[in-house]
Amino acid sequence: MSRIFDWLQSRTGYRGARHTMLDETLPPGTGWFFTLGSVLLGLLGVQSLTGAFLTLYYAPTPDHAYDSIRFIVSTMPGRLVRGLHHYGSSFIVVALVLHMVRVVMFGSYKAPREATWLSGLALMALILGFSLTGYLLPWDQRAYWATVVTINIAKLTPGAGDLVAGLLQGGAQIGALTLTRWYALHVIFLPGLLLGLIVLHIFLMRRHGISGPVKPREGEAMPFYPWQAARDTAVVSVVIVALVALAWNGAPALEGPADPSDNSYVPRPEWYFLGLFQLLKYFPGKWEVVGAMIIPGVVAVLLALLPWIDRGPARDPRRRPVVVGAFVVGLFAVATLTTLGWMDRPRPSAGGQANAGWTLRELGGRTFVQSGRCATCHAEDGLSEPLEMMPSTRGPDWLAGHVADPEMIAPGLREPPVPVGERESAAIVAYVRKLSRASYPSIDPTTQTAAAVFARHCIGCHVVDGEGGDDGPELSKIGSTRDEAFLKRLIADPESVDANAEMPSFERRLSPAELDAIAAYLANRK
Amino acid sequence: MHRRRALVLFVNSAVALIGSGLAAVLGAFALRPAAAAPGRWIKAGAVGDLTPHVPVPRVLALTRQDGWYRERARETVFLVWDGASSVHALSATCTHLGCQVRWDGDATRFRCPCHGGVFDANGQVVEGPPPRPLDRVETRVESGAVLVRL
Repeated sequence: MSRIFDWLQSRTGYRGARHTMLDETLPPGTGWFFTLGSVLLGLLGVQSLTGAFLTLYYAPTPDHAYDSIRFIVSTMPGRLVRGLHHYGSSFIVVALVLHMVRVVMFGSYKAPREATWLSGLALMALILGFSLTGYLLPWDQRAYWATVVTINIAKLTPGAGDLVAGLLQGGAQIGALTLTRWYALHVIFLPGLLLGLIVLHIFLMRRHGISGPVKPREGEAMPFYPWQAARDTAVVSVVIVALVALAWNGAPALEGPADPSDNSYVPRPEWYFLGLFQLLKYFPGKWEVVGAMIIPGVVAVLLALLPWIDRGPARDPRRRPVVVGAFVVGLFAVATLTTLGWMDRPRPSAGGQANAGWTLRELGGRTFVQSGRCATCHAEDGLSEPLEMMPSTRGPDWLAGHVADPEMIAPGLREPPVPVGERESAAIVAYVRKLSRASYPSIDPTTQTAAAVFARHCIGCHVVDGEGGDDGPELSKIGSTRDEAFLKRLIADPESVDANAEMPSFERRLSPAELDAIAAYLANRK
Repeated sequence: MHRRRALVLFVNSAVALIGSGLAAVLGAFALRPAAAAPGRWIKAGAVGDLTPHVPVPRVLALTRQDGWYRERARETVFLVWDGASSVHALSATCTHLGCQVRWDGDATRFRCPCHGGVFDANGQVVEGPPPRPLDRVETRVESGAVLVRL
């Protein structure tokens, strides 16, 4: 065995490299606080590996990105790998902030380590770039809308807004070109830069040596390995165990597939951007650029200039009250903004929760799917799986086109187009899209029938749970003022209860069972 | 020096443990067993349309899940009725190199156009290079309809 290593040494000189890598002597008193850089390095390693393996299955196209992620998380190792990558990014942000706090508190950025500090700040910017670009890749609602906001913020860049936004967006709208672009940034360009900057950062750190405790201590200088390496390993192990524990059940579930036509979605960024998100709220209208660009820009410049602002030789934080005080105030401000951003969540609307979160239109679509032609192909022994077994990631336009003409997706299918009413089609589309993110709840037959009646007839003029036309009164709480018998009379023959009623009679358009169901359902809406 | 050795042991084993744990997870992820879907029962025809012991080709359209990709495929199977209650189905894919075999009614043999493989009506190899009989496709008959599992 030793002969093999001797041979390897004679041909490669690896022992020298090992000596250079591991045997750096550290100032006495270098302790636990100096493990944070290694934690970052370890987490970045996990992130690179999990990221590289995720690309085995991920497809960066709007048609397939969402499906490919769903495929990834369909097995245990996939869930864990995606979970590690998802939570890893948060762990990195936390470790980054702690590392920076340590450097500022210990005055480690002071001469001669200004360049190390600057390369660290560049690394921080790069890592935030990773977070931003990675966020779009799942192509779900959260991803899509967070990107819309990011690109709109980029438009505020003074003097070059359109240029920067165009560069980020790639095409005329956020779509296929944006996705491939952000993917390329995330997996090729940024990792290349990251590697270069990490090498530079570590090279500079080694060149000037670790800053060590604020007051030089007496004692023997110890080599990094195994003394400090043991501390690093201990902390890294604890962090990785915590990461695995958090990631064990995978990343948070995907939201629905990206839907550019959805105007009800309220975008929210990942937690570490909540501070910026909250800051923006204080600068409405033309002042927005202050919150989006100027304040973050000033903070970045101040951080970059820190080694020149705080030039004295003292490293003890107690002897640098102004700089340390300002830094702590800044940290406190970021933490406060993040907390405020966290708390300022849209409350789920009162409606929409009535039927396990399904709207009447979505529920009604099920009835049309089952009674219509869909089951010709979408059946257990049909050409395609039942709809309930194949959650679709298609957009509403595609689905509406397919409902109108099934041949659209399978040339040669020879399934003649069947005329489908506009409202039925809209309900089928709503149902299929809802199925992509939730499974059908058990709904009682009365509600199911009422939902179909509502989706076919009432929805033109009446709102229930925020959906419908506004020619007639909203019906979400109609049961608190009208009883079932009255509603039944009104729907069957509106003029019998109000001589001036504009609503048409539904006596002949609804079956007795349908009339009973819709009246009973509405009477229960209180 | 004892302490140094203990620390070396700790660092090396922790690094090895984390490394091998990560390698195991990522390896399992990369080797993800190609979990072949169990297949779905598809209507392939009616028993009434078949002639005893004469393989009848059916081209079936099916959707096949290829990872995250849903592929529309067509596959040919031969339905063979024994004249009584049982129907079996043979894949049209030659077991030699995957060409599609054809039924030669005159000779009552399946012939592969590529390398001269010949099979009898039950799919058994008669001549040529095929290493095994034609693959059987799971079949069941339900109220006169023949269903195959693809």
